[in-house]
Amino acid sequence: MTVLILTSQEDVTADLVVAELRERNVPLLRFDPADLPGQAGISTEFERGDFTGYLSTDGRLVSVNSLRSVWVRRPGQPAAHAPEPSEWLTAECGQALYGMLYSTEARWMNHPGAALLARSKPWQLRTAHRSGFAVPPTLITTYPRAAKEFASQFKDIVVKTVSGPPPVNPPIALPTTRIDPETDFSGVAAGATLLQRYIPKTADIRLTCVGGRLFAARKTAASGQVDGRYGFYGHLWGAVDVPDRIARAVREYMTLGGLAYGAFDFAEDEDGTWWFLECNQGGQFGFIELETGQPIAAAIATWLAAPRTA
Amino acid sequence: MKPFALNHAVPADQSPAVIPYSYNAALQLNVLPDGRPAISDRGVLLECGTTTSTAGSKTHFDD
Repeated sequence: MTVLILTSQEDVTADLVVAELRERNVPLLRFDPADLPGQAGISTEFERGDFTGYLSTDGRLVSVNSLRSVWVRRPGQPAAHAPEPSEWLTAECGQALYGMLYSTEARWMNHPGAALLARSKPWQLRTAHRSGFAVPPTLITTYPRAAKEFASQFKDIVVKTVSGPPPVNPPIALPTTRIDPETDFSGVAAGATLLQRYIPKTADIRLTCVGGRLFAARKTAASGQVDGRYGFYGHLWGAVDVPDRIARAVREYMTLGGLAYGAFDFAEDEDGTWWFLECNQGGQFGFIELETGQPIAAAIATWLAAPRTA
Repeated sequence: MKPFALNHAVPADQSPAVIPYSYNAALQLNVLPDGRPAISDRGVLLECGTTTSTAGSKTHFDD
């Protein structure tokens, strides 16, 4: 039985898991949908109730009926490397590939349907609340007046991107940024805007959930530091225990989302409360593993290598 | 009118121009010029920032 890893060649974080699987002699196929068609190929046939399918890349051929699991790591857009790429070709190849994989009994980390839902910030906040996390008051709006009222109510607020930075060249970043409540909110009418009450934090917490296993890491925040991803103030990530209440909420969240993997970000305040900020269903883990030594790649490999249940 | 969130954009960190490893199709992972797996060199990984929390921001939704 084979593990299928959907990712790009340059994704060195995936290498951590590839190496774990190789060490355990677990068959694997690393496949980038961007190489389809061309360097990679697929074929599937539905005949008289039977279903067969194959994937090939770099001289390897795997039957989809032999897949035990699929790890959606950082796949390229289907057909992105085609000689004449187009939205239509991406749709054709994407539906053929993923439709074929959906037809198997393989376990997913994470299923693209669940991933699509879990990327949505409003869904994340609602689900986090239902799961029992502390969630900062948040407004997502295109109404400047609503933004102004939110700022007046909570005084100290931040702005975040809803979906991530735009794909522009040169690339830009949109760090979480504190906003003066007297600022001009007219630009809110030009795009959905996410405002959130600022949580003065003593530390950033990154909790990585792999199946049922939890790996939490803590990094002390510098005075006034808002977005822990940006700026280096001499603080490193260190492993930290997971409070029982948080562990229960994480498991509830993962169940509600149908997720096998999630990287949770929390802000720890001076009372020790972990405030839910977001859960990245495909979040990075390499930087945590490198700094803390937590065996996250090994846990992913263990989950992927487990026998499928159906 | 510029969307409000873009008023707070900053230039993204650029990846180093030269990544000191390349993909090896036989091994299905990236290797250094001397043939060692890239993941065996912690310094390379940290220097290239390929595993950091913002590494995927340029091409993916999740950090």
